[in-house]
Amino acid sequence: MRMMAISLTHDQVGLGMGNITNFNMGRTVRRALSVALAFLAVPTIGHADDSPPPENLFGSGKILATPGVIQVEGAGGSGLSTWAMISGYGTNRQVGGSAHHTFVTTNDFTLNATGVTIGLFDRLELSFTRQWFDTGSAGGRLGLGEGFKFNQDIVGAKVRLFGDAVYAQDTWLPQVSLGAQYKKADKGATVRAVGAADDDDIDLYLTASKILLDKSLVLSGAARLTRANQFGLLGFGGPNGGRSLQFEGSAAYLLSRHFVLGADYRTKPDNLAFAEEDDAMAAYVVWLPSKHITVTAAYTDLGKIALQGRQRGFYLSLQLGF
Amino acid sequence: MKPISTLALALFIGLSTPAQAASLFDDLGGLESITRFTNRLVDLTFTDPRTAHQFKHTKKERLARLLVDQLCEASGGPCRYKGVNMKKSHIKLGITEAEFNALVEQLQQAMDEEGVPFHAQNRLLAILAPMKRDIVER
Ligand code: HEM
Repeated sequence: MRMMAISLTHDQVGLGMGNITNFNMGRTVRRALSVALAFLAVPTIGHADDSPPPENLFGSGKILATPGVIQVEGAGGSGLSTWAMISGYGTNRQVGGSAHHTFVTTNDFTLNATGVTIGLFDRLELSFTRQWFDTGSAGGRLGLGEGFKFNQDIVGAKVRLFGDAVYAQDTWLPQVSLGAQYKKADKGATVRAVGAADDDDIDLYLTASKILLDKSLVLSGAARLTRANQFGLLGFGGPNGGRSLQFEGSAAYLLSRHFVLGADYRTKPDNLAFAEEDDAMAAYVVWLPSKHITVTAAYTDLGKIALQGRQRGFYLSLQLGF
Repeated sequence: MKPISTLALALFIGLSTPAQAASLFDDLGGLESITRFTNRLVDLTFTDPRTAHQFKHTKKERLARLLVDQLCEASGGPCRYKGVNMKKSHIKLGITEAEFNALVEQLQQAMDEEGVPFHAQNRLLAILAPMKRDIVER
């Protein structure tokens, strides 16, 4: 509720500022600004009786749960996979956005991810996420030093191409989006020493999603062109190969208005010679007490990582937004 | 990977049988329940600031009656909608997606209050959702 109030104020200030963009002299601007502020002080009097109220740019006009959540790399989706929906609760005339923190702990490693994702007019999604991968005591066993961290920054963009996941319930045509994630691993020398060809690269993905409302189901699948080792944390490419087409998919069941159950499956390249890399999966429950708070809890199996055996554990993600 | 995609495909095909419309009418609680949650919906629509401005010149009772017929018929019940089609009745209103969704949320609230099960609600919404093409104009 408090967040709603804040975004409403932003919107009104934004509208007020719109009135002064034609002026460029300092004093004129100041005078115009005070006029605009005077309007803001009595926001309802300005409207003619019949004209519709201006739509709130940050009005969270989408229906609860329909945009999905922020996935581990910062894109709109579910736990491990990207969806075609544009993240955030903004409609085609609104802007939405959220911040997330995601925490994954497995047998030997912990991963933290923090980022911001915004959706513009239900067409374009932009995201930034930083991941910290802590090797804990395995770092010592691998000769990297205990608690050695592989980190990466991920800048993402996704554009909605065609189709409608939510409203076109009378057709099978899914919503389809094209996305890119630029990833930059921070320990360039180390990832090259373990065999990676590069410490940065771009993943490209094409994702198709559909809500089957009469079945209370969400189905999504994506093809990803990538050479990221362990999502990019261990660099890109290696002695066993370069770019390849990988798959990520998910199925989610709308249990009730505020709870969603689901599972993700994601294939990964296996480019490094020193250690085998497996597919990853997650089974999750999402709790959406409102459009502003989303909590994802999951059991995840990330497969073998860096010679430490199969990594199974717990995934928790908190998302705040509008 | 292979067994997974086969499973997903099987799921897709298995679930693609159309919902039985006749049983949806029953699952919504029949005509009495539909009438109650529709009246409640119209009350909410006429008072919620997100939608109220659209209904300043609309006769509430007539709209409620038409909506009951429409929802009853759409869910497979023994009614016949005799109003204007969705395109004609909404074309001049400049309805936004946010307004459409606000009405969906009001309907969800009204059905919750009536005790309509969540999955039956979604089956009704699945029938109404494609109407957005005719109703939302901007
Ligand atoms: C799935 C959603 C909707 C359905 C099923 C629906 C259904 C109807 C029906 C059956 C009528 C009566 C048509 C007639 O006069 O014969 C009607 C009229 C009207 N609807 Fe909708 N409607 C929907 C969404 C909306 C939305 C989102 C708004 C605006 C926020 C809206 C505003 C109106 C108005 C103002 C009228 C009355 C026009 C008049 O007074 O003649 N409707 N609608």
